[in-house]
Amino acid sequence: MELLTFQDLQLNNKMPVYVQIALYVKRRILLKWAVSGDKLPSRRDIAMQLNINPNTVQKAFKLMEDEGYVRTSSTLGSVIYLDDEIYGRIESELTKEMVAEFIAQAKEANLSFKKTVELISELWE
Amino acid sequence: MLELKYVEKSFGQSRPILHVRDLRIPSGEIVGVLGENGSGKTTLLKAIMGLGEVKYRDIAINGRPVQEQYDQLAFITEEGSYIPKLTPLQYADFLAAFYPRFDLVYYNKLLKFYELEPNKRIRTFSRGQKSKLEISAGMAKGAKYILMDEPFLGKDMFTRRDFLKLMIGNLKGDETILIVTHHLDEIETVIDRALIMSRGRIEADFYMDDLREQGKDLTAIMAEKAGYKPDRYKTVLE
Repeated sequence: MELLTFQDLQLNNKMPVYVQIALYVKRRILLKWAVSGDKLPSRRDIAMQLNINPNTVQKAFKLMEDEGYVRTSSTLGSVIYLDDEIYGRIESELTKEMVAEFIAQAKEANLSFKKTVELISELWE
Repeated sequence: MLELKYVEKSFGQSRPILHVRDLRIPSGEIVGVLGENGSGKTTLLKAIMGLGEVKYRDIAINGRPVQEQYDQLAFITEEGSYIPKLTPLQYADFLAAFYPRFDLVYYNKLLKFYELEPNKRIRTFSRGQKSKLEISAGMAKGAKYILMDEPFLGKDMFTRRDFLKLMIGNLKGDETILIVTHHLDEIETVIDRALIMSRGRIEADFYMDDLREQGKDLTAIMAEKAGYKPDRYKTVLE
């Protein structure tokens, strides 16, 4: 059982902070740096690590609990909970997002679909 | 809920120095009060605290007039609200008598953290020490409404960072904080909401999450609301 830390999360100004916290946890899950049973720090500790309002952290927990990969109990605090279905959902969400971002950049640079696919095949290895 | 129904400060026929109407701040919000120098930020905080004369003032906390419940409020100001002839420990007695939730243990911890001499008269402290005492007292009052006027003024980066962490670590979630500062980069993730003031009025009032969702940037909005002209400096160089 590891304890997640948020020290290396660099907050940006493009997304609500509570969404960034949830996304950070999902990325760790996708990379398998966070697994079922791992503990999350207290809301206050996360707030202090990130210099944010504890109410914002509370909002992030609500989102993560609603999305299913964080469970909170009075005895264990908040822990990561994953099953195949939840992991699959996170995987497809994040990978699709990553590719969509790449496509948007390619389009901005006026690359055609054909040219983009050619470049991917060339640079893949 | 802090509710400013109507506040006006003005002299004679001239344009009001402060004019605020129907501003509601629910409990638990951390609000940045931003704007250029002279835009009315400090005047706004002082008006809430009942400091200085105003023409009209209708301010309520949870539906009751603010005048009846100053023990709910703490004001941390660069000007200093302590009593200079007292020592920090004597000042603590004074605070404990006025603020029923004053936390002496926390106050002493802060004095120790800031390496402040508990038995020396505050008057003899350096400017930096005085402002650290101001912060220690303000944070230990146990107030649910904390107003801060430039708490970072003249402080180095690490002192500012420690201060933010101490403040955040001490929040119980139901405190309402209004913070006047020019250090946008350091507070833009801390604050939930921003009020941008210009010429005594609130020109913009928005939640930071909404701003981010719209892909907008705090500095750009500040420049727009304050009427900042990015090329004007060139007139000097030409």
